Amino acid sequence: MGIIPDFLLDYISVSTYWTILFTIHALLAVALLGALSHQAMSVLMPARARAGQAGIVTRFSTVHGPAYAAAVCVLWIVTFFFGAWIYTKYRMYVRIPIEQAGYWKTQGVFELKEHYATIGLGLLPIYWYMWKNARDAAYDSARKWLTVVLTVMCWYIFLAGHIVNNVRGFGS
Amino acid sequence: MSTTTVPGTASLAASATFRTFATVFAIATPIIYVVCELQNWPLFTYHPGTNRLDLGWAPPVRNEGPAMHWYGWTATTLLASAALGVLATLLPQSVTRRIPLSLVWIVPVAMLPVLIYSLKFFWRW
Repeated sequence: MGIIPDFLLDYISVSTYWTILFTIHALLAVALLGALSHQAMSVLMPARARAGQAGIVTRFSTVHGPAYAAAVCVLWIVTFFFGAWIYTKYRMYVRIPIEQAGYWKTQGVFELKEHYATIGLGLLPIYWYMWKNARDAAYDSARKWLTVVLTVMCWYIFLAGHIVNNVRGFGS
Repeated sequence: MSTTTVPGTASLAASATFRTFATVFAIATPIIYVVCELQNWPLFTYHPGTNRLDLGWAPPVRNEGPAMHWYGWTATTLLASAALGVLATLLPQSVTRRIPLSLVWIVPVAMLPVLIYSLKFFWRW
């Protein structure tokens, strides 16, 4: 079931293989979530608007936004790739029991997650372009709200995956 | 504010052609994806139980597990959006500069209620 390089199974079990892939997917998602959250805070609460403050919120949002753009694009694509890879396992061994148990809303929440993971891919080129032209004021508003939209999408995708894992994840 | 970029990415970031492509790609992706999902237009169907691919939409095969269409919707969307993006680069800049940049975030947000409605099968108790 699914795409598994045969030589790997000489060293690890099938279960370990999928666990490793899922863990990598989850760790990449955490990194992406962190990067986007920093960047979104930096556009929603610019440091100059809070001069004099030096609390944790200030430090969280005082990041150099353009430096995150390429990392966010790479992380979204790589996280998407790992998610698409483990999706085969999910479809066979997670979704079917979820449906049998009647957790329809949980499945619906996951469906929306996959939709927005793909839509996010389409937004990455212009997101990267706008951040690479961060000095151009013409892009300020669109860049700000595009970053916020991508961040909200990322949080939703992350939490939906977490919910599904809670319903039927490791050890189920 | 200074950014460190390698020459290749710097030229891409300064390219009006890439800007046009990326803008149209971003606007087209949510719309085409929603159409693909609603009309069920995957480029291919993957059968995870047997590792088989069928071109276009295919139903699940009896006793061979489910059929997956999401990969196919994604492929259709990215290819069609990229094609539109390339076509847009052929238009004069006087035209492409008039595309409102705000659409790149408004369109994905506007697609949310449509996608939620398309999943109405799952919103039941």
